[in-house]
Amino acid sequence: MKDSDCTCDIFCTVVDNYGDIGVSWRLARQLANEFGVSVRLWVDDLQSFARLCPQVDVMLDEQHQQGVEVRRWPAEFPPVEPAALVIEAFACRLPQRYLAAMAARDKKPVWVNLEYLSAEDWVEGCHRLPSPHPTLPLTKYYFFPGFAPRTGGLLLECDLLKRRDAFQADAAAQAIFWQGLGVPECQPGELRVSLFSYENEAMEGLLHTWEHGARLVTCLVPEGRALPQVRQYFEGILSCGSDFSPTNIVGLKSDPRVYSRGNLCVHVLPFVEQDRYDELLWACDINFVRGEDSCVRAQWAARPFIWHIYPQHDGVHLAKLEALCARYTADLPAEMAAAVRVMWGAWNGGTGIGAAWLNLLAQRGVLTRHCKDWAQQLSPNNLALNLLDFLRRNA
Amino acid sequence: MKIAQELRAGNVVMVNSQPLVVQKAEYTRSGRNGSVVKFKFKNLLSDTPSEAVYRADDKFDQIILDKKDCTYSYYADPMYVFMDEEYNQYEVEKENLGDVVNYLSDGMEDKCEVTFYEGKAISVELPNTIVREIEYTEPAVRGDTSGKVMKPAKLKGSGYELPVAAFIEIGDKIEIDTRSNEFRKRAN
Repeated sequence: MKDSDCTCDIFCTVVDNYGDIGVSWRLARQLANEFGVSVRLWVDDLQSFARLCPQVDVMLDEQHQQGVEVRRWPAEFPPVEPAALVIEAFACRLPQRYLAAMAARDKKPVWVNLEYLSAEDWVEGCHRLPSPHPTLPLTKYYFFPGFAPRTGGLLLECDLLKRRDAFQADAAAQAIFWQGLGVPECQPGELRVSLFSYENEAMEGLLHTWEHGARLVTCLVPEGRALPQVRQYFEGILSCGSDFSPTNIVGLKSDPRVYSRGNLCVHVLPFVEQDRYDELLWACDINFVRGEDSCVRAQWAARPFIWHIYPQHDGVHLAKLEALCARYTADLPAEMAAAVRVMWGAWNGGTGIGAAWLNLLAQRGVLTRHCKDWAQQLSPNNLALNLLDFLRRNA
Repeated sequence: MKIAQELRAGNVVMVNSQPLVVQKAEYTRSGRNGSVVKFKFKNLLSDTPSEAVYRADDKFDQIILDKKDCTYSYYADPMYVFMDEEYNQYEVEKENLGDVVNYLSDGMEDKCEVTFYEGKAISVELPNTIVREIEYTEPAVRGDTSGKVMKPAKLKGSGYELPVAAFIEIGDKIEIDTRSNEFRKRAN
């Protein structure tokens, strides 16, 4: 089967935040635009999806966006012919009606459950394993994205690394980018950091470190769950009558999208589309990212990054955090690996964020070179290619 | 009906009209990943082995098979022989024993539950808790009685090695949870 003859249904439920739909949308666009696959993306919450793709008309049940057929996934699922490749994103349950239609076909679709990303070793043992349906003549396959060769790999558009290199070498393009966001160009000696995270106990300590640090830090905060804490950091001190003079603080009443105090300047950014977010990661010196999709994009950006993993009440996420940290730092000298590990730990429920930051910053030059090698090392294991290869072998 | 997470070695489930005996079940929970269970099955009709993975809450029809209380008798290469109270002997293949094989030793008195499918012994289950003697382990670590620090120890009879608390010594008897294959406590 040629890729251009292939049809694909991707099912995605928006659980919380934008991680699941972000990955599904990225995959849908890549399959459609790079490989010519006819992709239908079924989304249960178009309102949330519209944050990632503002062109979406939330009133429409069917529409085409960026080469992808976007369909509302209603409670009463319509009768449709199943695609050759069926992807349920993150173990969302397929509609019974659709399952029955799959089972009724002479040639059964290749059915894949695209799992969450993990760097843990057990993933390699489960990747591509079948999961025969208990009652229907259908077999689902588990597909695990990952960092090791025997996993499904990572989402990577074919020209992304070239575009990244071109952007990072082009001062004019970066100047236009900053201008478009309303952020001044980078000054000599300044450190530019993007900050995308969940609520984080270490936030105040980190902002405090930047404010009182020796170096000017410009911090770009996309709208989202971290923003109230950032605002609280500035407003809290203002409201409790500390030594800080309101005249030293830009923001709040005059311009609520900019806060500045000491050596720290924070710019609040609007929620940006995926391609623009990539440029933000490429343009910054260090990136704080959260969840799955932005974590992968930060690795392609080839800049040092600090990952805020989705926290779970029983701490089970920490093994996953450590697994990625171990892979990411495996080729680094011990001292540098320790600096990364301590910083990630401090940002994920640990302590000592100030010292951890300064230690990491001291390693930034070598770490940045490592990040480029790391991205290159990961790049051959391409998730979309692996999925299509899996389809060819199993169709 | 059982969910995947509840299935253990020896259970038999129907998958698309095929009876599959669970030979191994590994439960994994990680980060945002839903919990999954990786299985090793054997098809009871074709004897074909297979591997599969399921969500921990996937539901299965379990087949209830004949079971008998037996004791382990001896090893007759390549079969393990069990005997019921009427001195009937049943041979079980090693692959069908799962982790039970780690705890089999001559003279053991634990009551085992042997499961049959169409007259053939297909699996064995041990009691949830068994007691075994330590044949060898490194000397105890002085001062640590918390039970949190672990070290490897070899069981008498089977030679199986598992982590035990650091204060356990050669000759000690220990309780083992056969569901998780974990040391529980000193038994003497």
